[in-house]
Amino acid sequence: MGQEPDFRRELVSIIPNLRAFAASLAGSFDRADDLVQETLVKAWDKQHTFQPGTNLKAWLFTILRNEFYTQMRKKGREVQDVDGIHAMQLAGHPEQQGHLDLQDFRRALDQLPDDQREALILIGASGFSYEEAADICKCAVGTIKSRVSRARTRMADLLGIEGDGEYGPDSISSQIIGVAPAA
Amino acid sequence: MEQPKEKTDAASPSPGDARETGNLGSSSAIGKRLKAYYDDVAAEPVPDRFLSLLEALDTAEATSKSSKRS
Repeated sequence: MGQEPDFRRELVSIIPNLRAFAASLAGSFDRADDLVQETLVKAWDKQHTFQPGTNLKAWLFTILRNEFYTQMRKKGREVQDVDGIHAMQLAGHPEQQGHLDLQDFRRALDQLPDDQREALILIGASGFSYEEAADICKCAVGTIKSRVSRARTRMADLLGIEGDGEYGPDSISSQIIGVAPAA
Repeated sequence: MEQPKEKTDAASPSPGDARETGNLGSSSAIGKRLKAYYDDVAAEPVPDRFLSLLEALDTAEATSKSSKRS
């Protein structure tokens, strides 16, 4: 079976993406890497169910996401509280609003509901289409669209960005506005 | 008020549709930060634990196959 080494190599090539997705779901790198490890073991066990030629990345993201929500259900609130504390430790000083760095962004991201955060990441960062994201999250395409839209509005709100648009030069002015206190 | 046309027809199933990222394009301030945040994590080298895990899974599989054969 010459396709197994390929499977392994492809798995490795997707690990960086899996880690980034897992970190956005789990909030801490330790938990993220545990999720990735579980995902790799599960993917290996069921590699015969993967259809060659289909999207391996989407398949792996689906496994990781399922694993995350299964763990959440098992561990319940306790985990969420621990993560909340961790997120706060990661976040640094909330009063430094003018300094919009990655930690501030992370802190804002943590305040989104899980479903909105994952939709935002899948579409805006992982490079999936709305259709693929809907498959991964087992929901309708329209649901993904509305989650992304609400997530985006909320993030703009949290980060103090006004008029965040995709229409060219506006983004420059909105970044400047974003640094100033909201009027 | 120009709304982008809703793509509901299955006639254009190209994966290139992924570019339709709903105001999260690279020129959006949030889109940019989102990418920066994500790529920051994704840029880290793959930890050895994952490579050795896959190595071990591969070896275990090969071993179980060859032991069945003998």
